[in-house]
Amino acid sequence: MSVMGATFVRNWRITVRAYPWTYFVGTLATGVLTIGVSMLAYRAIGGGRVGASFTAATGSADYLGYVTIGAAALTFTTRMVLWVAKAQITEYREGTLESQLLTPARRLPYLLGVTAQALSTTAVEITVLVAVAGVLGVRLSVPEPLTLLAATVAATVAVVGMSVPLSALMLAAGEAHITQNTLFTAMALLCGFTFPTSYLPQAARWLGEALPVTWALRVLRAATLPGADVDPWPAFAVCLLLGGAYLLVGLSILKPAERRALHRSARA
Amino acid sequence: MSTGIVTTDLRKTFPVRRWQGWRRRPAAAPVPAVDGLSLRIPPGQVTGLLGLNGAGKTTTIRILSTLLRPSGGTVSVDGLDVVEHAREVRRRINVISGGERMVYDRLTARENLWYFGQLYDVPRARLRVRIGELLDLVGLTEAARLPVERYSRGMRQRLVIARGLINDPAYLLLDEPTLGLDAPIAHQLRALIAQLAADGVGVLLTSHYLAEVEQLCRHVYLIARGSLVAQGSPAQLAGQTVRRHTVRLVLAEADPSVTAALRALAVRHDAELTVDVDDEGRPRFALRHPEDLVGAVVTAVVQQGGAVAGLTVTPPTLEDAILALADPAAVAR
Repeated sequence: MSVMGATFVRNWRITVRAYPWTYFVGTLATGVLTIGVSMLAYRAIGGGRVGASFTAATGSADYLGYVTIGAAALTFTTRMVLWVAKAQITEYREGTLESQLLTPARRLPYLLGVTAQALSTTAVEITVLVAVAGVLGVRLSVPEPLTLLAATVAATVAVVGMSVPLSALMLAAGEAHITQNTLFTAMALLCGFTFPTSYLPQAARWLGEALPVTWALRVLRAATLPGADVDPWPAFAVCLLLGGAYLLVGLSILKPAERRALHRSARA
Repeated sequence: MSTGIVTTDLRKTFPVRRWQGWRRRPAAAPVPAVDGLSLRIPPGQVTGLLGLNGAGKTTTIRILSTLLRPSGGTVSVDGLDVVEHAREVRRRINVISGGERMVYDRLTARENLWYFGQLYDVPRARLRVRIGELLDLVGLTEAARLPVERYSRGMRQRLVIARGLINDPAYLLLDEPTLGLDAPIAHQLRALIAQLAADGVGVLLTSHYLAEVEQLCRHVYLIARGSLVAQGSPAQLAGQTVRRHTVRLVLAEADPSVTAALRALAVRHDAELTVDVDDEGRPRFALRHPEDLVGAVVTAVVQQGGAVAGLTVTPPTLEDAILALADPAAVAR
């Protein structure tokens, strides 16, 4: 079995043994809360209507569908980043990074194994979140299958691409929380999860354009928003290019970051 | 071709940075952890690397195992440079460290070995057999399906040993491998190390248990502050210092004439004498000298009519030699 497959199996075993149901509830709670608060605001404040600017920006008047897909995408992004970006710093903290680095295994297959397992776990979480949204009364239109598949591929490339340099940053800095939470806050504001990016100031919009997740989200919107007559393929191509570029940068700085972490533990 | 692990003028410095205003700047003098070390670890024998705490043993092992890059000098494993051919070197070596985790707590022993076998690309059929052999070797067959988080410290260390052997390494770097092990398992590990060397594996051993080093090592390097201070067989190393026998004598009761005779004996032989009392208030003497003075001590006591309550002689050890060579100032104190 390959390093990727072995890492997938290893992480799956650890997750099955160590993943408490309370953590599952906590993971869902953020998404459910986002949908619930948006629903209240939409019905109680907006009177069940959206402004013309929203319809113009998104090509749809289905605000609850927009927010639900955005909340699911945000859950997907944060969960995947947490799994993939934190994989190596978790090894470092738990004392297994050295035994990893002693082996001739390459980093990319290892990270892809972590990604594959993260995808399977996150898929379950997203399915439950969308089901809860359905119970709350959100009705989603049936997505276009090919575009949905492209959106899933784009989102995966985007989060893996962003996670690898983030992993290097965490290893180099020796901390995870500040780094990850800064990224999560920036993504939630800039990428268009719960409101169209056209609402942002111009400078912030440019920052959002530099994140591959923003482009992945456009492909997802094209697959899931009724009436949004948007061609998803240019956004798909940009997402792959940006995600690939982030991944290459990440892989190039990962080894120096590992050496820095090993230096730190050697001096300790 | 197996030419061993060879280091030439190996150096490693750790930059020290200090806050100056808003910026961290490099300190004037970086700390040398390894300073011009030249070693050879040949295949088929156990080589010792000794030194006091902070001498640079673990840093040296981390460089040899590709975890750290040297700041200067070269390291080759069977002719392969550890920096340029790190991946190929990793296939040939492994490391066993005492007191470090190195395995996954939530996996079982079998799952840990399976995973590391995959990372080393051990063929599937071979891996299945190898896992069984190693679990048997370290006595974990019955506990092989328990998560490691339920293991005792000794069991965990045995698994770390098995992990270090999963790829059939040509060179094994052992950093305090018996730390925390029960005596029978430590004994078994020593036998295994000797067997591995007999089978052609090159072993580098650091240990605070000097009996272990004397038993296993054919050649020993002694380092202090990152530099080589002595090398040779354990016997040659012990012979490089002024070795001292220690005669410890307890008298049945205090006798000023015996004390005076022993002081005169110490002055005559230029020996070091310390006098105190034991737990029962009896006078106790310790006489240290390169020669064994027990005969002269007993004669002096008997001539003065003293009664001996206890007498021991401690011969010089490798530990004395290490202390004398690695930190002469401490021995002088």
